[in-house]
Amino acid sequence: MSSKPNAGAYKASEQEKALASVSLAEKNYFKQKYLPKLTELRDRSMTEDYSGVATGRAQADTMQALSGRPTIRAAQSVDAAADLASAAGAQQLQGRVQGLTAQRGDQVNVLKNARGMQADAQSGLSRAARIESSKQLQFAKAKQARRNANFKFASNLAGDIGKKLRQTSGQVDTEENDNRPDPDAPIGSFYNTGFGSGFGGR
Amino acid sequence: MAHTPGHRDYVSNLPGVSNPEETFAQITRQDYMDFVNNFRDFEEKLLKATDDTSLMDQAREDQMRQNQIAQQVQQRNIERYGGAGLSNAQRQQQQRNLQLGGQLGLTGSLNNARVQQRQVNNALLNELIGIGQGVNQSSLSGLGDASAMAAQRAAAYKNAKAQHHSNMMGLGGAILGALI
Repeated sequence: MSSKPNAGAYKASEQEKALASVSLAEKNYFKQKYLPKLTELRDRSMTEDYSGVATGRAQADTMQALSGRPTIRAAQSVDAAADLASAAGAQQLQGRVQGLTAQRGDQVNVLKNARGMQADAQSGLSRAARIESSKQLQFAKAKQARRNANFKFASNLAGDIGKKLRQTSGQVDTEENDNRPDPDAPIGSFYNTGFGSGFGGR
Repeated sequence: MAHTPGHRDYVSNLPGVSNPEETFAQITRQDYMDFVNNFRDFEEKLLKATDDTSLMDQAREDQMRQNQIAQQVQQRNIERYGGAGLSNAQRQQQQRNLQLGGQLGLTGSLNNARVQQRQVNNALLNELIGIGQGVNQSSLSGLGDASAMAAQRAAAYKNAKAQHHSNMMGLGGAILGALI
């Protein structure tokens, strides 16, 4: 017969403990050091003036190109000012577009990273649930196996007891049958065997 | 455990994890709550930003300011050259041209801004759709896992019930067999 399982044999190994400790420490480090960076980028991407530099530069370039050196011809021109306004407006728009594109790029990156972490968390939850579920199933299976063994034992026991009882009652029957009159025997023989020759005159 | 001399053992100083299963479940739950706390609002704002009109709003303001600046530049130039020899009619024409150019510039800027705004918003929408696909995929996979686990448990329960029934029948049979 096999010996009882030792609980110590099922304890976590040193490697397993180290793995859990290191993983937890790294997870905490990530949460303390890296996660704030992402939330910082989130805030910055919402509040920072991305187009300020681009529009400022666009304005400077336009003015330098179109009104950098004043001339009398420009002063006399009937459409120079209108051209300047139109060009500067278009340049401003380009600056704004560049700023907004950069801002959206950063915001999308933040969301991608955050969603990536969320997906990791979700698959982690799924794994945790799977672990718990398979543990429950294993426990239930073990319980079922134990129940089956008990039933088998009870069935065998019942069968054996029944067999024994039958055997015992069989013996009693045989013993009783030994004292019973033989139905095939001729009349009077009982008396001959039981009570001797008193009546039979043998 | 043997360690290389001169090297610190960082692992031994780490806190132990008494129940890895519970810790894992707790951390992943906390991660999800952190995501909701830190990024849900941000995500909502970004989803709304696909209808952004900031470029168009800003273009109107910018163009009007540029018209004003151009007028001031022209005024300074004329003053710098002592009127630049312009007649009143010429100066009036300059003003009219500036006003007309300003209005055309405003219209052009707004049209361009509308086109650019659409491009930026569409690019954002595309990115968000990509992110949404990931969200959909991972949520479906989570639901699939949950459903598979439920099915597995149900099957195990049914199996256990069948086994129990069979055991009871066996036991009953054995008892009956013994009695007969």
